[in-house]
Amino acid sequence: MDTIMIDGLSFALPLFIMAIGGIYSERSGIVMLALEGLQGFGAFVGAMTVILSRFYLGNSSPYLIYIAMVAGMIGGSLFSIIHALLCVKFKARQVISGVVVNTLAVALTTFLTSVINGIITGEASNKFQIGVSSRFTVPVLSEIPIFGGLFKNMYPFEIVILVIALYCWYLLYKTKFGLRLRACGENPHSLDAAGGDVGKTQFIAIMICGALSGLGGIFIAYSVSGIFSPTIYMGYGYLSIAALIFGNWKIPRTFAVCLFFGFARSVVYQLLLKLGMPSNYTDLFLILPYVLTLLLLIFFSKHNHPPRAVGEIFDKSKR
Amino acid sequence: MNAKKERVPGNGLGGRIINALDDDRLSQFAIPVVSIILTILAAAALLLVLGKNPATAMTGFLRGSGFMMKPIYGGGQSMLTDFLSFLGILAPMLLAALGIIIGMKSGMFNIGMAGQMLAAGFIATVFVGYSGLNAYLAKPLVILLGILTGGLIGAIIGFLKYRFNIHEVVSSIMFNYIISYIVAFFINTYYKDIITRSSRVCSAASRLSITGVTWGTSKLTLPLGIILALAGVFLVKFLLDRTVVGFEMKAVGLNRDCAKYAGVNVGKSIILAMALSGVFGGLAGVTYYVGYFNSIVPKELASLGYDSIAVALLGNISPIGAIFSSILITIFQKGSIYMSSTVGVPKEIASVITGILLLFSACGTYMRYLARRQRERLADKAKKEGVQ
Repeated sequence: MDTIMIDGLSFALPLFIMAIGGIYSERSGIVMLALEGLQGFGAFVGAMTVILSRFYLGNSSPYLIYIAMVAGMIGGSLFSIIHALLCVKFKARQVISGVVVNTLAVALTTFLTSVINGIITGEASNKFQIGVSSRFTVPVLSEIPIFGGLFKNMYPFEIVILVIALYCWYLLYKTKFGLRLRACGENPHSLDAAGGDVGKTQFIAIMICGALSGLGGIFIAYSVSGIFSPTIYMGYGYLSIAALIFGNWKIPRTFAVCLFFGFARSVVYQLLLKLGMPSNYTDLFLILPYVLTLLLLIFFSKHNHPPRAVGEIFDKSKR
Repeated sequence: MNAKKERVPGNGLGGRIINALDDDRLSQFAIPVVSIILTILAAAALLLVLGKNPATAMTGFLRGSGFMMKPIYGGGQSMLTDFLSFLGILAPMLLAALGIIIGMKSGMFNIGMAGQMLAAGFIATVFVGYSGLNAYLAKPLVILLGILTGGLIGAIIGFLKYRFNIHEVVSSIMFNYIISYIVAFFINTYYKDIITRSSRVCSAASRLSITGVTWGTSKLTLPLGIILALAGVFLVKFLLDRTVVGFEMKAVGLNRDCAKYAGVNVGKSIILAMALSGVFGGLAGVTYYVGYFNSIVPKELASLGYDSIAVALLGNISPIGAIFSSILITIFQKGSIYMSSTVGVPKEIASVITGILLLFSACGTYMRYLARRQRERLADKAKKEGVQ
C-alpha cells in the first residue's frame, strides 16, 4: 500500500507541474505541444549542472538538489524562448513550432550529452549518472493509516512542486497578471484594447511554462530514474497535455487527473508484481493509462471548453 | 497580391534574394533554399566549435549515402551498394512525408506517423512475413496489409476528431504508445529472436526489396519501395490538384466553416484525409520494416516518422518538393554513421541538423514578411530619390 502511494505521487507530481505549465501557455492562447521537449531540456541542463557542480561540492552535498532544480527551471525557460519567438514574434503555426522544439530538444540533448561525456570521461555515453536525490519522511503525518504512505520517503521535489503549484494557482486566478493572461487566451483584442501587451504576456506565459516543465523534467531525472538519458523522452510531456485537456484547462481538476494517472499506474504495477506475471505482460498493462485517456476524452471532450483563442495568431489589425 | 509587384531596382545579389523571397511564384523555392543555406552554415559553425573540419564532415555525409566514392570499400561493397541502400531508406521517408502532406493540406497534423508505420510493419510481418508464401503473392499482400492497417488507424483518428472533437495530435500520440506497447508485448511473447532481441526475421520473399543481387563484384539490394514512393508522389499530386475529393480536402484545410457553407461534407473529408494519410504511413511502415529492415525492434518508434514532418515542411507541403527535401534529409540521416566513424562527431548530429532545418523552415512566413518589409523600405527610398 505504501509503495503504491509513494510511486503514485512521484509519478503524478512531475506530470502535474508540467501540466500547469501547459495550462499557463494554453490559457494565454498558445498551443503547447512542446512540453515533452521542454522537460527534456530542463532535465538535461539540471543533470549537467549536477555533474559539473559535483566537482566543487562533492557527491553528497545537500545543495545539489536545489542547484539542480534552479538549473532545470532556467534550462527549460531558456529553451522555451525558441517556442515563444516562433509563436509570438515569427507568427509560425504553433503546432508546428511545438514539434520543432521537441525535435530540436531530443536531438540537441542527446548530441550534447555524448559530446560532454566525451570531454569529461573520455567515452561517448549518452547518459548522465546523477543518482537519486535524498528522501525524507514527514514525522507525524506518515503515521496516519492508509494515507500515511503519501508522506513516507518523499522527495524534496514534491514539497517544492506543491508549493509552486499553489502559487501558480494564485497567480493565475487572483492577480492582475493572471487575469490578463487568461484574457489573452479568450479574447486577445480585449486585452489589447485595455492597454495590455498581448505579445509580452504570451511570451512570459511560455517562459513560465518552460520553467515549470524543466522542473518536472529534473524531478524525473533526479528521482524516479536517477539518470539523464534519451529515455527521459518517454512521453511524460504528452501525457501531461492529455491531463490538462482532460482537466479542462483548470488547475484543481488537472491535479485530480494527474493523481489518477499516477495511482492508476502504480496500482497496475503492484498488481502485476503481486500476481507474479512475467515482465512482458507489463507492456500490455502499460497501455492502460493511454487507453483510459482516450476513452475519457471521448466521454468528456464534449463538455470541454478550450480557451477560445488558442492557436490563433494574434493580429492587431483584425479587430 | 493581384497586381504584379514592382521589382526593387538594381540592388545586386541582396536585392535579388529579397525579391525572390517575396515573389508569389519564387518564394516557395527561395524560402527552402535560404533555410538550407542557413542550416548548413549553422551546422558548419557547430562543427567548427567542436574542432572538426566542416568540409570533411559534409563530404562524409555524401560518402555515407553513396553520392561520393569512399576511399576504401569492404568486400562486396561499392558506391552503388551505398546508393541503393540510400534509396531503400529514402522510400519510407518520402512515403511518410506524403502522408504528412495530405494531412496538412486538409488541416490535420498526423504526428502519429511512427505508430502507423509500426502497426503496418508488424501486421505485415506477422501475417505475410512468417507465412512462407511465394514472392508474387507475398509482396502485393504486404503492400495491401500496409495500406489497410495504416488507413484504418488514420480513419479512427479522423473519426475521433470529427465525432468527439478530440485533437488529432493528442489521439495519435496516444495511439503511438498503445501500438508500441502492444507490438512489444506480442514480439516479446511470440515472435522474439533470442539472440537479437528483436522480432524474428521475415521471409525474403515477402520483403519489398530484392536481396543478394550481384553486379560485378558488389552485392546489391534492390529497393522496390522507391518505385512505390515515386508513384505515390504523382498520385498525391493528382489527387490534390485534379480531383474533387482533393479540392474538398484543401477547402476544409483552408477554412472549415467556409467549406461547410459551400456544401462540402466536412466530416467525410476529414476522415478520408486522415485515412489517406494513414495509408501512406502504412506504406512507409512496410517499406521500412519489411523492406529496408527485415525485423522489428520492440518498444522503439522509428524516428523517421518524425523526420518526415521536417521533410514535408521543408518541401513546402508539396509532393514534388518532398522529393528534394527527403533526399536532403536522408543524406544527413543515412550518411551520419559513416561521417561519425570517420570524423568522430557523434552521429546524433544528423538529428540536430534536421532539427535546425525544421526550425528555419518554420520561420518561412517570417522570412517572407521580413523580405516584404525590406522591399517596401527600399521601394520607398527609390521613390523618394526619384521625386528629388
